[in-house]
Amino acid sequence: MLVSRKILLGLGVLFGSVFALTTANAGELQKQLTSESVIETITKRGKIKIGMSTFVPWAMRNKAGDLIGFEIDVGKKLAEDLGVEHEFVPTDWSGIIPALIAGNFDVIIGGMSVTPKRNLTVNFTAPYAHSGMGVVANTALAGSLAWPDGYNSSDVTFSCRRGATPCTLTKKMFPKAKLRQFDDSSLVLQEVVNGNAHAVLTSYPKPTDWQIQHPNVLFNPTLEKLTKNDESFAIRKGDPDALNVFSNWIMTRTSDGWLDERWAYWFTTRDWSDQVEE
Amino acid sequence: MERKRPLRLNRLNFVINVTVIGSVIGFIAYMFYKVDTVLEYHWQWDFLPGYIFHWDESEGHWVPNLLLKGLFTTCRLVIWSMLVASLIGVVMGIMRTSDRLFFRMVSRLYVEFVRNMPPVVFMFIFYFFISSQLVPILGIDEISVRASPATLAVLEWIIGPPELFSNVISGIFCLAIFEAAYITEIVRAGIQSIDRGQIEAGQSTGLSRFQLMRWVVLPQAIHRMLPPLAGQFITLIKDSSIVALISIQELTFLAREVAISTMHVFEIWIFVAGMYFCICYLLAVLFGRMEKRISVYRS
Repeated sequence: MLVSRKILLGLGVLFGSVFALTTANAGELQKQLTSESVIETITKRGKIKIGMSTFVPWAMRNKAGDLIGFEIDVGKKLAEDLGVEHEFVPTDWSGIIPALIAGNFDVIIGGMSVTPKRNLTVNFTAPYAHSGMGVVANTALAGSLAWPDGYNSSDVTFSCRRGATPCTLTKKMFPKAKLRQFDDSSLVLQEVVNGNAHAVLTSYPKPTDWQIQHPNVLFNPTLEKLTKNDESFAIRKGDPDALNVFSNWIMTRTSDGWLDERWAYWFTTRDWSDQVEE
Repeated sequence: MERKRPLRLNRLNFVINVTVIGSVIGFIAYMFYKVDTVLEYHWQWDFLPGYIFHWDESEGHWVPNLLLKGLFTTCRLVIWSMLVASLIGVVMGIMRTSDRLFFRMVSRLYVEFVRNMPPVVFMFIFYFFISSQLVPILGIDEISVRASPATLAVLEWIIGPPELFSNVISGIFCLAIFEAAYITEIVRAGIQSIDRGQIEAGQSTGLSRFQLMRWVVLPQAIHRMLPPLAGQFITLIKDSSIVALISIQELTFLAREVAISTMHVFEIWIFVAGMYFCICYLLAVLFGRMEKRISVYRS
């Protein structure tokens, strides 16, 4: 009798302590989640580190060698609203997601389109920009081809930037066409201008911009948007706090029209072009 | 001997030289001519100087712009990597010729592992899996926050901008470890080229292993190692562009940014090729001098 009572008491104490521990853990967990959030890191450091890649007009270098562009405006405004300083970390596009995961910066604001595949490795906020893809082609090579069916042939070559969304779209829309991939967007264009590739799919405003820069060589087979993309900030997974802060910042800045106004400046005008070219 | 060489041979030499140089120039000119017809490209060079030096309105003097900054970063990176790589290479190379099986196995493993991997893959694995774990432990970011402005200025001069300290250090080690594998083999070949008889002679006079290396083997081996070392260091300079992958703003990376921003791809790359040529050639000349100097000692 005595023994069984002792056992009961022992079990009671055990269950009690386990229960106490788990409830304490739930509280701890919440604290831990908040303290491990990148938002906490940013405020403690007093500086937000933003990963980006050069891509006109999202981000580029002006004559003084400083970064300018739509994204740079977004990053600066975000830092200002969070009350911290900003630091941009230009990174090779192909290494930008591993660099985020390795902790080189807090967030990617790099014109990155949301795709399910990418979403498996990183978390995306609400979209802060909506790009669309267009097409620009070499007049001499592709002038006689019918859009879009004539382009889906093994005689047609497309070029694209390695690892970027247009590559995937090209493969999907024109499975028979050949695809040449390059590491930067200037070579992608050069390939079409030189006549080594027939056409290139790329995000607006580039299809129209490139056509204006090379009026005798290039033309736009169509001006409609082939796809619409949503661009979001990318952050490391498992950080609900940061996801909420960034998404709501984007929501607020969308509602008050600031994002639209900046977008219009960088994407529909070329008022900024004198900052870059001589 | 030189003076007695017949005049005819000199004249023949001259003719050969002129033909070779002339055809090279002709070929280059032809290429430029062809490029103009094949390539639909609007050449424009006048924007380039602006990306080398930039007139700073607020400070009122010229400051180096992206391309020159990139060149500085590349130079820093290369100098440090060369030092670290030489150190690792010499140690590993000596281990490679050691009598102890364990040392030989360690260095053999290292050489084969690193040498048979493409640099970009090595960089990726090393940086994202190893270095990103190790460097934070060293607390380098702390240093850049806590250090006094004076120390920071010195550090900035020898390593680079404070916010990239940890990246640059990872980059230096990554490059060094990669290139040291090749240097190990150069050192090994140098040591093994020394006649066995000399080592035996040294041993029989009672020299320790260290003394043998220091006074008998290495002085002779270095002379044989210098030419391949020069080649390896030049490769290191050119390989250094792969660190762009980890956000280090070196010459190739910044050149690409300028090329994308301005859309003048070829002008930038041709100019950057010239910059790389200058550093590499400088190094080659330096090594040539060193070789001569050592041969003077020897004779």
